[in-house]
Amino acid sequence: MGIPIERFLVLSVILLCIGCYGLLARRNAIGILMSIEVLLNAVNINLVAFSRTVSPSEGTGQIFALFVIGMAAAAAVVGLALVLAISRHLKTVNLDEMNLLKW
Amino acid sequence: MLADAVFYLLAALIIVAALGVVALRNIFHAALAFGLMLVGIAGLYLVLSAEFIAVTQLLIYVGAIMTLILFAVMLTQRIADPSVPHLNEQRGPAALIAVGLGVLLITVILQTPWSRVSRPGPLVGVTELGRQLLTTYVLPFEVISIALVAALVGAMVIAKREQSTR
Repeated sequence: MGIPIERFLVLSVILLCIGCYGLLARRNAIGILMSIEVLLNAVNINLVAFSRTVSPSEGTGQIFALFVIGMAAAAAVVGLALVLAISRHLKTVNLDEMNLLKW
Repeated sequence: MLADAVFYLLAALIIVAALGVVALRNIFHAALAFGLMLVGIAGLYLVLSAEFIAVTQLLIYVGAIMTLILFAVMLTQRIADPSVPHLNEQRGPAALIAVGLGVLLITVILQTPWSRVSRPGPLVGVTELGRQLLTTYVLPFEVISIALVAALVGAMVIAKREQSTR
């Protein structure tokens, strides 16, 4: 009797929805970046759960999760550098006040 | 029985911390809740017998990414006004979309007959992961090295303070 996978998938979906809400509704740019990391962690839980239950001796899901962690780090670094650079110029961190390119 | 209790405890911790990330007004508290969520997820990886991913999660996510976010929060602290609303005017439709997506996906998950272990074997360990990273997945391994260097250099260039004109 293997590990029931539905509970991990439901947890992953709940985290996905929470991250989606945070991405759409937060004003602080750093808060939005944290919500993106929540989304990526939900995906990682999904991958590792599938790797454990479907093919526990191959580890493909775990390697995929490793690469997702690496790319999440790269995305966070670049995103935060952009937020810092913009906040230096516009003196604000709220995303709806950064509207220089709007018509 | 004990494994179920541990899972539900970790799941409750993760969900409450994630709600703190998206809903807390003070961005520093949200970053701390983010750290708590990451530690909970590392515990979940231990439940799933993925020890290497659990330790990598703690080292990279909690040790590097959360620290970086805290640095950024501290550097922008004095321009973040705590009295303005922290959620923009799209929060109603955003909540509707998130809940709708969740209901749809959970319905699909609970109605799908998931197959159990189809290729049973010993659990993969660090040795096997390392071997596969250097044989089967060596191309993504090299590409992610280049991508990380590019992100590093790019972030340094973007965040560099401009030199004052002479």
